[in-house]
Amino acid sequence: MNRALGVAKMQLINKWTFLGIPAIILGSAFALTLAIWAMLPASAVTGIKYSGAGQAVMWYFFALGIQSLTLTFPFAQGLSVSRRNFFLGTVGLFTVVAAGVAALYVVLGQLELRSNGWGMNGRIFALQWVADQPWFVQLFFYFVLMMFLFLLGFWGATLYKRWQATGLLVSGLSLALILVAAFGLITWQGSWAQVGSWIVSLTPLSLGVVALGLSAALGVGAFLTLRRATP
Amino acid sequence: MSTAIVEVSNLSRVYRDVTALDGVSLTLERDKIYGLLGRNGAGKTTLMSILTAQGFASSGEVRVFGEHPYENEQVLSRLCFIRESQKYPDDFKPIHAFKAAALFYQNWDHALAAQLAQDFALPMKRRIKKLSRGQLSAVGVIIGLASRAELTFFDEPYLGLDAVARQLFYDRLLADYAEFPRTIVLSSHLIDEVANLLEHVIIIDQGRILVDDDADNIRGSAVSIAGPAHLVESFAAGRAVLHRESIGALLALTLDGALTAAERREAQELGLELAPVSLQQIVIRKTLDAGASLGSDGSFEDPTDIERKETQMGASR
Repeated sequence: MNRALGVAKMQLINKWTFLGIPAIILGSAFALTLAIWAMLPASAVTGIKYSGAGQAVMWYFFALGIQSLTLTFPFAQGLSVSRRNFFLGTVGLFTVVAAGVAALYVVLGQLELRSNGWGMNGRIFALQWVADQPWFVQLFFYFVLMMFLFLLGFWGATLYKRWQATGLLVSGLSLALILVAAFGLITWQGSWAQVGSWIVSLTPLSLGVVALGLSAALGVGAFLTLRRATP
Repeated sequence: MSTAIVEVSNLSRVYRDVTALDGVSLTLERDKIYGLLGRNGAGKTTLMSILTAQGFASSGEVRVFGEHPYENEQVLSRLCFIRESQKYPDDFKPIHAFKAAALFYQNWDHALAAQLAQDFALPMKRRIKKLSRGQLSAVGVIIGLASRAELTFFDEPYLGLDAVARQLFYDRLLADYAEFPRTIVLSSHLIDEVANLLEHVIIIDQGRILVDDDADNIRGSAVSIAGPAHLVESFAAGRAVLHRESIGALLALTLDGALTAAERREAQELGLELAPVSLQQIVIRKTLDAGASLGSDGSFEDPTDIERKETQMGASR
C-alpha cells in the first residue's frame, strides 16, 4: 500500500479533526449569523447585510495546519513513515479537503443569491467581489486561500519543530524586516500611488494567482524544513 | 544464521555542548534479543533515533538492512521504534493509535494488540493524553509487539508499569519472539529484570560502547568472593578488583575475570564463599570504573526510584 495514502488515512482516523469540527464551525457560524440577522429591526439596515462568518472555517484550517504537524509528525516518525511521505500524505489530504470546502462555498454562494440572501437579503458566502466572477474563478480563489492558510500554519509548525521558538522568532523578525524595507523602498521611490492602484485593480483571479505563488513557496519551504526535522 | 542487519561505524552525535554519541561502532544480527543498557543520558535513545532515521548523526556510517535508513521506505517499513516519550496526536485514543499502526506495518496483528490491551487493562477509548504513565507505556509496548517489525526497539518500555504488567510484557515478548523471531533491542536501566531475556548485551556510557558481548560471557566475566578479610585478600592478590565491601572482619570482593577450576577448588578449601555476580552489578561496576570522575552515585535506578519518579510525573501531568 502506498504509505503517503496511509498518512492521509491516519490523519482521518479521528474524523472529528478534519471533518466534524469544520462542519460544526461552518454550521454554527451560519446559523448564528442568520439568528442575528433575524433579530435586527428592519429600520436598522438598508440594503444588503454582509457577514464575515464565512471566514470562520478558513481560520480553523490555519490551526489545523499547525496541529497536523506538531502532533501527528512525531507519531508518524514512531511508525517509521518517511518525512517525504508524511508531507505528501498530509498536504495531499489537505488539498482534497480544501477543494471540497471551496466547492461547498461556491454552491452555498449560489444558494444564497437564489434565495435572496436566505430570505433576509444577507451575504455570507456570495460576497460581491468574488460572487461576480464565474464559478471556476470562485472555486480557484477559495481553494487557494485555504491552501495558503493551511500551508502557513504547517510551515510555521515545521519551523518550530526544527528550531523551536528561536526559529519562529528569527523568521518572524526577518519577515517584518523585509516588509518594512519594502515599505521604505516604496516611500523612497514615491510609488504609493501605483501600489494603491495595483491593489484596487486586483481581481479574485489575480489575487488568487499571487496567493498560489505564495502557497507554493510555503509548501517548498515546509518540505525543505521538514526534511531535517526531528520528532 | 549470523547475518548483520545493522552496521554502525564510528558514529558520533554532537549537540551544542554535549557529545551524545562518541565514535560508536556495532553490529546487530538477525533474530536476536539485544539489551542496550546504560544510565540515563548515556546515549541510548540518541543511538536508536539515528538507527531509525528519526534523528541525525554528526558523523559516521549507518547501514540498516544494508542501506541508509534516511527517507528509505524499503528500510523504514521494517523498523519500529516507539520512544519512551512518544507523542501521539492530541485527540487520539489507543484504538486510533493501533489503527494507525495497522496502516503501516504489513505484519500487524490486530488480535494480538487487542489481547495485550486486555491483559494490560488499557482503556481503549480513553484519550491518550489522559492515560497514566503506565498505560502510556502499555500503548507503546503493544505497538512494538503487534507491529512484528523485523527490527523492533523498546525504549525503557516498563516505565510506570507495575510488577505484574512488567512480567506480562517480558512473558509476551518471549512468547511472541519464539513464534515470530525478529531482532529486538531492549533499552533499559532495569537490568536485572531483563537480564534473563537478553542474548547479547551492549553497555553504553557517556556516548561510548563499554561492553558489547554475549550475555553469558558477561555473566561469567566476574565473580564475587567473600570470607575472612586476610584470606580473601591473599586469594585475590594480583587480580583486578571491581568492588570491595567489608563488614567487620569479613570482606567481599568482586573480581574481574572468571576463575579457573583450580582457583575455585582453592577458594573452597580456604572456606571462601563464591557467588556469581548479577549482570546489573557488572554493569554498575564497569560503568563506574569507566566514569569514575562522574561522581558519587553511579548506581542504576532501582524499581522504587522509578515508581517515585512516576508519581512525581503523574502529579505534574
